Amino acid sequence: MDMLIAPERLELAEAVRDFLSGTHGPEVLRRLDAGPNRDPALWQGLVEMGLTGLLVPEEHGGLGMGLLDAALIARECGRVALAEPLVESAFVAVPWLVAQGDTSDLATIARGERRIAPAHRLNGAVADGEGAALDSIDPLRRLTTLPADASDDALLLDLGALMAAAQLVGLAEAMLDQAVEYSKIRTQFGQPVGGFQAIKHKLADVAVALEFARPVLWRAAQALDDGIASAAVHVSHAKVAATDAAYLAAESAIQVHGAMGYTYEVDLHFWMKRAWALGGAWGSRAFHLNRIDAAVIGGPHPIGPENTFA
Amino acid sequence: MDLTYTPRQQAFRAEVRAWLKAHVAAEPLLTLECEQGYHQHVAWERQLASGNWGMVTWPEAYGGRGLDLIEWLIFEEEYWSAGAPLRVNQNGIFLLGPTIMEYGTEEQKARFLTPMAAGEVIWAQAWSEPGAGSDMAAIKTTAYRDGDHYVINGQKTWSSRASFADWGFGLFRTEEGSQRHKGLSFILFDLNTPGVTRRPIRQLHGHPGFAELFFDDVRVPVDNRLSGEGDGWKVAMATAGFERGLMLRSPGRFQATARRLVELFRQHERDASPAAREAVAKAWMDTQAYAYNTYAVAAKIMAGGSIGAEASLNKIFWSELDRAMHRTAMQLLGAAAELRHFADGRVNDWLEGYMFSLSGPIYAGSNEIQRNITAERLLDMPRVGAG
Ligand SMILES: Cc1cc2nc3c(=O)[nH]c(=O)nc-3n(C[C@H](O)[C@H](O)[C@H](O)COP(=O)(O)OP(=O)(O)OC[C@H]3O[C@@H](n4cnc5c(N)ncnc54)[C@H](O)[C@@H]3O)c2cc1C
Repeated sequence: MDMLIAPERLELAEAVRDFLSGTHGPEVLRRLDAGPNRDPALWQGLVEMGLTGLLVPEEHGGLGMGLLDAALIARECGRVALAEPLVESAFVAVPWLVAQGDTSDLATIARGERRIAPAHRLNGAVADGEGAALDSIDPLRRLTTLPADASDDALLLDLGALMAAAQLVGLAEAMLDQAVEYSKIRTQFGQPVGGFQAIKHKLADVAVALEFARPVLWRAAQALDDGIASAAVHVSHAKVAATDAAYLAAESAIQVHGAMGYTYEVDLHFWMKRAWALGGAWGSRAFHLNRIDAAVIGGPHPIGPENTFA
Repeated sequence: MDLTYTPRQQAFRAEVRAWLKAHVAAEPLLTLECEQGYHQHVAWERQLASGNWGMVTWPEAYGGRGLDLIEWLIFEEEYWSAGAPLRVNQNGIFLLGPTIMEYGTEEQKARFLTPMAAGEVIWAQAWSEPGAGSDMAAIKTTAYRDGDHYVINGQKTWSSRASFADWGFGLFRTEEGSQRHKGLSFILFDLNTPGVTRRPIRQLHGHPGFAELFFDDVRVPVDNRLSGEGDGWKVAMATAGFERGLMLRSPGRFQATARRLVELFRQHERDASPAAREAVAKAWMDTQAYAYNTYAVAAKIMAGGSIGAEASLNKIFWSELDRAMHRTAMQLLGAAAELRHFADGRVNDWLEGYMFSLSGPIYAGSNEIQRNITAERLLDMPRVGAG
């Protein structure tokens, strides 16, 4: 029993963090928003980091890593509100194809030449798909109509929900950071607004929500990777916890920014809107809460102190 | 990350479970906040010690089993699952014990830890004073040096278990004219020393769960000081860290409450609101989240790390979670919530638990203080302005 995330896994995620913060800052979001939303050069950078092949088995030209590694990196993608469809192609579609035994596209996916837009019926739409464009509030999301052959596979849904949760955690962390930074530079009544206790306590609550969403996420990633029977319940738990943390972070962050936060000019809205999008995608909060309810209140999932890792 | 137990850990779990099954009484003890209940709980501590279960992480030399934090968590899980009694010596074993382990001399370890693990000496903590609650650095009670003794004068208050306990520990001003965090020392004292007067205070539930302590020229040997003279604040912060961070409230306690809440909900399902249903699901989620976090903290400590200001996040989370679960239960019980005993004679544990849960956000540093610490030390927000 060891809940510690191995240092080398964290190092990889940190390397991705450094790379993304250097190449995908807020100015990139603004540039993409003003233009075509996607940038082949950014995609190429992700390919060169090996991220498109992260979960592709080594014999197909990938790195053969696990869902926990992918979740750690999906969180980093959330932190920078990454626009390129890395997570859904490389961390959702790839492990699903591998689980189906469908290896034909893996090598081209790993090389970044092919992207898969996983379509699940529960979503009602698909991001970066081929269908007609839909109008998302998230300016960098390319939402399209669901194809007729969309899947309703349970594993695909769990993978999508897990990776959405991971991005939501990253989005929430970034919004908290932005609010903290703003609270230090904006002065009113002769002091930084971050010195006011009402502001401190609001952001402390976000820190609490995140502290207790993260281990749920890691646990869910490991459970799905291990393929334990109850993995779906843990994924649902992660999705609910991450969604709640992200909404709390978003509402707190805009409040701390005052009217600035209500403008299009301040970057916060990119993160906030992605959080709304991912909070509803891959199973709504109600869907996941119902799954937990059915297992824990109505069903057979063993609970109580001795069943922490059931 | 490996979320499976080793065969050794599984065997240990089975051993704990079997012992508790054979020893935990079917009839619950009286509350430890009343005198008779206190003594029942002391007897239970001694029974635990007879099986070497007093504090499994301590070295064998002090009555422990030399086990690691994962095994401690397994022990705690089984303990709470079995419905075993509250630990009347929690301020000793969970708070003072680890502090002595870190700051005590070898002589002090031998002298205090062994009887603590054996349940022979029950401890009370004495920080708070009438003028020093959240603002603990406002402590006034003095302990001035007279040869190889300190002479204590002043008053402490809200000291849990002090109505009946054997020994106390706390912070005293040892340097004349010193201010705030400076000039304080961490001193252990026998509650039966001449000059100590205890005045029990009735708590919300009517029992004397804490007491005021008056010190009138109380002579305490200098050997009873932990760490250096004037180092008291630093030592006390370590104790507070144990209290908020890991030891005092292990997840099993809350997971057991969540399981009972699910059972209660099932009995009341027909009349329950959708909001109650969600609150029950959330109880499971949050107690699990708390457990994962605790396992992660334990793993971090075992890998050589330590807990810092994150302990404040922990304290906010468990105390508000406990209150929320009991509030949900009170609402599910409806008209029966007010009954101290149900019609069949059983104690209404939800009501008792709800009352106790209201103190969680107050003791061990109020949650407002924890939010200040979170904002200022973890988020690095400015320390100016109101607060
Ligand atoms: C059940 C129980 C058991 C206890 N056991 C012990 C014990 O064994 N030993 C012991 O020494 N003490 C014990 N205490 C006392 C406990 O440590 C204090 O109650 C606690 O430190 C708060 O102090 P106070 O009660 O004086 O509240 P105050 O400090 O007077 O606070 C009143 C309110 O003001 C808020 N407040 C105060 N300062 C600030 C600030 N800077 N910013 C924002 N809000 C603030 C508080 O959060 C609180 O809401 C116990 C208390 C309880 C309820």
